[in-house]
Amino acid sequence: MTPVIDIKGLTKRYAGNFALKNVDLAVPVGVTGLLGPNGSGKSTFIKAVLGLVHVDSGAGTVLDQPWPLQVKSIRDQIGYLPEDDCYILGLQGIESVQMMARLSGLPSTEALRRAHEVLDFCDVGQERYRNVETYSTGMRQKLKFAQALVHDPKLIILDEPTTGLDPTQREEFLDRIHALAHRFEKSVLLSTHILHDVKQVCDQVIILVRGQVRIADSLANMQRPIQSGLQIRVVCSAGRLAESLRREGLSVQTMADTELLVQGESTEIAATIWSASQREGVLVERMDESRNSLEHLFMEIVSEKKHAHT
Amino acid sequence: MPILDLGYRTWVGHRSPEWLRWSVVATTGISLVWRGTWLKRFLLFASFPALITMFGVGLFEQSTRDESYRRMFNGFLASRIEPMGPRNRIRDRVRDRAPIISESADIATQRHLAWSHLLLWYFRYPQSLWIVVVIGLVAPRLISYDLRSRGYLLYLSRPLSPSGYVLGKACVLYFLLAMITTFPALAVYSFGLLLTNDPAAFLQTWDIPLRILLGTLVLILPTSAVALAFSSLTQESRFAAFSWFAIWIVGWVTYLVLTGSAMFSQDDVLKLQQRWLLISPYHVLGHLQEEIFGLLPDGRHQIGPWILCGVVSVVGYTVARWRVARMLKV
Repeated sequence: MTPVIDIKGLTKRYAGNFALKNVDLAVPVGVTGLLGPNGSGKSTFIKAVLGLVHVDSGAGTVLDQPWPLQVKSIRDQIGYLPEDDCYILGLQGIESVQMMARLSGLPSTEALRRAHEVLDFCDVGQERYRNVETYSTGMRQKLKFAQALVHDPKLIILDEPTTGLDPTQREEFLDRIHALAHRFEKSVLLSTHILHDVKQVCDQVIILVRGQVRIADSLANMQRPIQSGLQIRVVCSAGRLAESLRREGLSVQTMADTELLVQGESTEIAATIWSASQREGVLVERMDESRNSLEHLFMEIVSEKKHAHT
Repeated sequence: MPILDLGYRTWVGHRSPEWLRWSVVATTGISLVWRGTWLKRFLLFASFPALITMFGVGLFEQSTRDESYRRMFNGFLASRIEPMGPRNRIRDRVRDRAPIISESADIATQRHLAWSHLLLWYFRYPQSLWIVVVIGLVAPRLISYDLRSRGYLLYLSRPLSPSGYVLGKACVLYFLLAMITTFPALAVYSFGLLLTNDPAAFLQTWDIPLRILLGTLVLILPTSAVALAFSSLTQESRFAAFSWFAIWIVGWVTYLVLTGSAMFSQDDVLKLQQRWLLISPYHVLGHLQEEIFGLLPDGRHQIGPWILCGVVSVVGYTVARWRVARMLKV
């Protein structure tokens, strides 16, 4: 399937410093997480895709339209939720969503109807009739999400969308992203620092560090371990179980006081683990296929880049 | 949970052309400023001078039929001008104590002169001041509020360029200024046509509506450009408002100080008025309007005010556009 964003040789400099350095990036259909530490170029990349900043070099396609030649037309097909707290002073919530719909070319009445519909979807109730400057941070995030969706875009770019949301609202927000991607075939580019959000909704992950792409792969591939095995979590201390398994000839790594990583083919070692736990009287709380931790991977890549830089 | 939550639904429909999207900025801006109670009061007060102008037009039309009204009209017209102002065709007559409308004069010429002068008075005195007040009330927050709340990101994330954004904001001012100047002036002109029994009156005065439109453009373009530039240079609208009023007051006072000394003879004053004209925005616009309404005497044409007007307009809009585009880089 054609990538929704396919850009090659993207370079952007601010006063001689590279914000993006010769970036080749293909964002496939589905939900893609854009990760990176502060100053890695995530927001610059998003603004470059939207044509909000002039790039020094780079060309490609976005939603099958030539980029950056057709940025205005491309913007019509993109819903953008900015990281910044931005609103139009004096407008009610419903009016600001309607205005965004009209800016995308919807007729006035249709824009109002659509604004109500999308605000319902985003769980904004009667607060929609209040002026936006009186909204809480969480309400503003919902409002910005509604503004990004109101013109039914093919590609939704979300820059730190869950900032300021409480845990319940965050889960609901991620559910909406999931529904949009899987039920309505929207492509989503999710720029965030929160790895939990990425693990929950993303199909692909791109990690940007210092203006360069370090990894662009599917989440499943990134979490696949080099060696297969099982991750075990027990109720009490895992020391006795670990000793018992080593005596059985298995390679065991203690991850934490109650967590072990046992290497080997899962179908072969599972029976041995169960019998050892029964013998030692250790209650197994959870047993999963071992995975690479996205957190570890992210930290490794970032620190690796830091060392290389120093 | 809303009662009629339909979940997410896709939307298919016809969209308006991209090159018209700036009109959303304009209509949103107009709807926002229209909520201000003081603005509505000012607009109401600003419509009163149009009634005085209509009265003047009515008096003139009556004087063409009844000689007893002629003196009254001459007095009315003479009282509508500042005697020490720069030279123009009416002022010269007042200074020379000559009747503005005489018995021997050709009625078509007199009608054109009288209507033009009444409309010039309307533009030059009450409405120029109302323009300063209304722009000072509305314009400072037009862009500065968006810069403060980063609302420009919302506008520009849609198919809208910084130029389109500035055009939309400028149209808010164009609309309000047209309500103060163009529409009432055209209403005065139409009222005059209705009062005449002479069908040839339109042929005698057909150029006046065009002069009204040109006079409006000369007022609107540079003033909006300067006001938007000030608004775009700060996130604090009060600084923009202060700068706006300061240029008018400082320019006006300086011009009066430089040209109004009693030590100079009448001829010297006229030379000084020409020399220092460009210092005061108010007098520059007044000079241009006198020229547009054809009331400047021969030899008083100056190219400087036109160039200044053009340069200020171009620089003002360029600064506003540059500031908005620059904010995206942060």
